[in-house]
Amino acid sequence: MIKDRLGKELLFFDGGMGTLLQERGLKPGELPEIWNIEHTEEIFDIHRKYFEAGSDIVLANTFGANALKFHSDEYDLEDIVTAAIVSAKEGANFGVHDGREVYVAMDVGPTGKLLKPMGDLSFEDAYAAFAETMRYGEEAGADLIHIETMSDTYEVKAAVLAAKECTKLPVFVTMIFDEKGKLLTGGDVPSVTAMLEGLRVDALGMNCGLGPEQMLPILDEVMKYTSLPVIVKPNAGLPKQKDGMTYYDVEPEAFAQTMKRVVDMGACVIGGCCGTTPEHIRAMTSACRELAVKEPVKKHRTIVSSYGKAVEIADKPVIIGERINPTGKKKLKKALKDHDMDYILKEAITQQEKGAHILDVNVGLPDINETAVMAETIKELQSVTSLPLQIDTVSIEAMEAAMRIYNGKPMINSVNGKQESMKQVFPLIQKYGGVVVGLTIDEDGIPDTAEGRLHIAEKIIAEAAKYGIDKKDIVIDVLAMTISSDAEGAKTTLEALKLVRETCGVRTVLGVSNISFGLPFRPAINSNFYTMAMQNGLSAGIVNPSSEDMMRSYDSFCALMGYDENFAHYIKQYGNRTAETKVANAPEASGMTLASAIEKGLKEEAHQITERLAGEMEPLDIINKELVPALDRVGKGFEQGTVFLPQLLMSAEAAKNAFAVIKERFTGEGTLEEDREKVILATVKGDIHDIGKNIVKVLLENYSFDVIDLGKDVPPERIVQKAVEDDVKLVGLSALMTTTVVSMEETIELLRKEKPDCLVMVGGAVLNQEYADMIGADFYGKDAMQSVYYAQKVFGRE
Amino acid sequence: MDARMREAVRYLGYGGHAVDEQTLALIEDSFRELDRAADRRIIYRIFDVISGKADSLAIGKMNIVSRNLRKNLRDCHEALLLGATLGIGVDLLMKRYSLMDMTRAVVLQAAAAALLEEYLDSCQKKIGSELEAEGKYLRPRFSPGYGDFDIRYQDMMLRMLHADKSIGLTMTDSYMLTPAKSVTAVIGISGKKDNCPMQGCEACKKKDCIYRRNT
Repeated sequence: MIKDRLGKELLFFDGGMGTLLQERGLKPGELPEIWNIEHTEEIFDIHRKYFEAGSDIVLANTFGANALKFHSDEYDLEDIVTAAIVSAKEGANFGVHDGREVYVAMDVGPTGKLLKPMGDLSFEDAYAAFAETMRYGEEAGADLIHIETMSDTYEVKAAVLAAKECTKLPVFVTMIFDEKGKLLTGGDVPSVTAMLEGLRVDALGMNCGLGPEQMLPILDEVMKYTSLPVIVKPNAGLPKQKDGMTYYDVEPEAFAQTMKRVVDMGACVIGGCCGTTPEHIRAMTSACRELAVKEPVKKHRTIVSSYGKAVEIADKPVIIGERINPTGKKKLKKALKDHDMDYILKEAITQQEKGAHILDVNVGLPDINETAVMAETIKELQSVTSLPLQIDTVSIEAMEAAMRIYNGKPMINSVNGKQESMKQVFPLIQKYGGVVVGLTIDEDGIPDTAEGRLHIAEKIIAEAAKYGIDKKDIVIDVLAMTISSDAEGAKTTLEALKLVRETCGVRTVLGVSNISFGLPFRPAINSNFYTMAMQNGLSAGIVNPSSEDMMRSYDSFCALMGYDENFAHYIKQYGNRTAETKVANAPEASGMTLASAIEKGLKEEAHQITERLAGEMEPLDIINKELVPALDRVGKGFEQGTVFLPQLLMSAEAAKNAFAVIKERFTGEGTLEEDREKVILATVKGDIHDIGKNIVKVLLENYSFDVIDLGKDVPPERIVQKAVEDDVKLVGLSALMTTTVVSMEETIELLRKEKPDCLVMVGGAVLNQEYADMIGADFYGKDAMQSVYYAQKVFGRE
Repeated sequence: MDARMREAVRYLGYGGHAVDEQTLALIEDSFRELDRAADRRIIYRIFDVISGKADSLAIGKMNIVSRNLRKNLRDCHEALLLGATLGIGVDLLMKRYSLMDMTRAVVLQAAAAALLEEYLDSCQKKIGSELEAEGKYLRPRFSPGYGDFDIRYQDMMLRMLHADKSIGLTMTDSYMLTPAKSVTAVIGISGKKDNCPMQGCEACKKKDCIYRRNT
């Protein structure tokens, strides 16, 4: 069995396939997998040569054999995969003359498509495509699955889950890193390693992209982070271009010499990729066969990751942003109920800008479908922030759904010392990976001594070990309870922090602000307790990064404890402190009117002047006498070609700020409560560019329409369903390409059938009046202002 | 104002009008941000061009019917296929600004388009000067979607370049490139140094377009 040999002896992969096929006549753009059937003898011959050169594992010719990449009218995917595995097995029969045990790997390459949210391939569809081809591979007799040449952590996660859930085969994964050690999608060595180890692959490493020399520094980095056997499969050098053709020029002997260093650094499965030939592999196996293999060394780093970033919870404390949690937050509750994803995303970006390293995500409300909302929120958050997320829920179902679709290795909040809890949560960590928060509470409640909490921490760590979960993947929360009910509470917590940190050697986490519940002026207590907690071993405080007091505690702690080199962060943060405060009242002095602030597009000023006016004028007067006339003037200017898009939008955003103040000050007074007219906006199915739609949205909101933004790539059914459900009278559709105007037409057709009283306005780069007429739209808006005017007309506001 | 600033201003629809200070500052700032976020990558290969009957031609294994492209490649026996991208980081930045600050999103979009053109121009210049040593000259870039050169050829072009693997450039089912700020193009290679100064924009027949470059 290959698993038994892995990490204990050196194993050799084969070399390139594509380059050899091209030499034998494969044309650029032609599907290499078709050769499995049409040129079986060539495929077989290549495999045989690799086995003869000393390969222990060869990759079957299935790199692009998935339903998303392999499109053929003549051949079934299953036949292609089967033929590939059979050829490789035959190659072993004829090519291995020394009786050594060899293996055929099902080779799984990328789908060639970008996953959502940046592309159009869903995680589930990627999973299905991988699962299908992997089943064929196992059926045909593959010994392992090798997922390679991957540059997207999300795609790789789909592939690993498919391999694990649909086959019983060992799973190897290699990714393409560039010379800076980055994936094309932004991930780096620590984040990739953390995720793959979390998913419990059998071996990991790198292939393609670089030559053996250039891989050394990246291998060095990989060795610092992984506890698993490491695979290295370089190209025969960096790609060079001559006459528009790509070639590689590292010769077999030079290749072999560098591979010796690769083994010396700790890799235990080695081979070649593009440009390497049986000669390279022969040179490599002869040079390396007798080298001693270094057994993988266990690492103890606590790391969570996202697609683009790893955060290590180590000596320098990290900040977990607490704001995405509806407890005690009216606006977030409302946003969750109204499905106002924008609000949640803005909350995330703000926390990131304020300095959070990880974001807690809790969407638990009694009357929402937590599983669905959690999964959607995680997906959306990962499209705007690269911070790792902490999945915070008591629902096991929501936890699993979120862990499954999470791109990276998440933090999980939480498990506790109750058997029931551990029985539910640990299998999920074991399957998907994650760093789990262990709360020191069990069937008997929260112990009121530090020793009691330590005891539960030890119990959690011991139980986790039974699931193969290392203590590096556990952070203990010794719980902070309000001092208003237990005067000794803070002391116990601080003591427990220290004890757990020192006795168990695990990292710790704490919801810091609970400590002051029920007391006045909570920031004072919170920020001081925060400092004390860090001093006693708190590794990750769950705090509000927008609280200046908390951030001052954090920044000061880092400066004092030597975690802020040259005080660079501290100086950046507080260096011009006094200067800032002076600027604040400037617009008051300049005597600017709200109308002119809006026309000039000055957001801050618009906000401040409205604050002042709100004390002097009726809200409707501010709107009708200042706001609307200013917006109208800007709109007219835009139409006449004296104001341009950036200025139009700056004014719109300034007006938005003014509206926000008015709404804040006068909500509940009745004057602003009347129902606003609803307008649906969507970028049609197949279209993923939404900037035009977003511009229209900002302007329509300015003119107080209630915009229901369905996003991009929206199927006709969803638009129609929403229009019917909310009885919407106007729908705006956007499309950018001739290829997606078809979806626009379909949407209009369906709307006419299901909601005949609904009007449709369209816009987008490829459209014009003629085109709009042709697809049956009611109105074509050549620019964003035109859609505002049309909406006003439709609702009789002219 | 440097060339890329001028291009960004043009994409924002200013035509010949003066740009206010606030917007100018925003454009400059967007370029600074893009310099950090953009991960410029290019892949290209040269293929033989064979002209067929009427409007048909073949670039390598790809058979194409397009009168405009054929005209563009007149007298070319070779053509260079290229794919280039600013990478996924720019898309993420765009998405972020679409939420937080639409003005910035719009300006960033224009700046990114200008940056991509600038990048392509500089790559083309470099490749061109290499080829000139062999007495070969590059024509202007021509992309799927221009004139009657169907956007659907994008699929084959990406495959011929292995653009997914090499530079992370892929497309959606509706032939949109992902990452969004990306380009595929054909560049004719001719043995004659005929003057082809007409860039894409000026060659267009739509003379009243507000985005038209001032020449």
